[in-house]
Amino acid sequence: MTGGAGTYVYAVTRPLPDGLPAGLCGIHGGPLRALAVDDLACVVSSVELDQFAAEPFRRNLEDLRWLERVAREHDAVVQALSAVTTTVPLRLGAVYSDDQSAQHRVRGLREPALATLETLDGREEWGVKIYAVPRRAEPPAGDEQRPASGLDYLRRRREQLERTTLDARGLADDAEEVFAALSALAVQGRRHRPQDPALSGVKHPMLVNAAFLVPRDERARFQQAVTALSAERPAGAMVATGPWPAYSFATLDDG
Amino acid sequence: MTGIAPRNESDGLADVLERVLDKGLVIAGDIQVNLLDIELLTIKIRLLVASVDKAREMGIDWWEHDPSLSSSERNLVEENERLRRRLGELEATPEAERS
Repeated sequence: MTGGAGTYVYAVTRPLPDGLPAGLCGIHGGPLRALAVDDLACVVSSVELDQFAAEPFRRNLEDLRWLERVAREHDAVVQALSAVTTTVPLRLGAVYSDDQSAQHRVRGLREPALATLETLDGREEWGVKIYAVPRRAEPPAGDEQRPASGLDYLRRRREQLERTTLDARGLADDAEEVFAALSALAVQGRRHRPQDPALSGVKHPMLVNAAFLVPRDERARFQQAVTALSAERPAGAMVATGPWPAYSFATLDDG
Repeated sequence: MTGIAPRNESDGLADVLERVLDKGLVIAGDIQVNLLDIELLTIKIRLLVASVDKAREMGIDWWEHDPSLSSSERNLVEENERLRRRLGELEATPEAERS
């Protein structure tokens, strides 16, 4: 692979008269630069093409340790920018042959980028996951006794199965209600694909993996609602994280 | 604060990957893989993160639809070729007899 450096773009912002946050570094410690693009700016750093050109990048993405480091470095830059200015995060991996090429591409996205900046102004993202944590089931009285007959056993078994099904349906309906309740408090609610237990690290199935765009000055109100909803449910049924940069609300495609 | 976790260094990797790979403004770089490749990679990375060993028992089956990796599809292709050869042989037989 040819050596040399490419320009990695993290995010699009409005012009940054005060410059970039002090001490903030990019991927692999690379110094950040803000490139002016008319009435916008894009925040970039140089990356080595022997790691970030299409072919090595593709290979590196499948190396979880490499990917984790780069993903966290990318996220750290976007997070720090979001703390000081409205930031439209880019998806990981926008690499250009040079600064001019990156600026040219961002110039081409001026209209949607400006519209997205307006949507994100003064707002932040909160993640809420809802898991199917069963409520403690109370066995009906007399269930401890041995079944009186085979028929009795079958009846009890059927009732037990019906309760389980109802419970699962109830939990799913309940998760939808939580999503609706929090959506009503947010500017927008979006759903990601629920994560598998191996990804979430939680043994209970994830029912809803949601992101909410919340006005920053209504953060407390949103958090109170999360806390209240969470208190009404079994421990661990609701987990909220945030604030995140508004990743989930910056997509131009339908992603 | 029940149920609310502040963001920190140890944020779930899955949460970070979900956002930086899947979300964010999509602008493909000029020397970068294109968008479709990114989508595909995202799915593959999901699987990778979930660990390939466990994927099948968890019911992740995207590779069933990826001809480059699916053994069932490979088998299907082989089966197809075998049948086609067999059909060719059968069709060729009368011709051979005719000649």
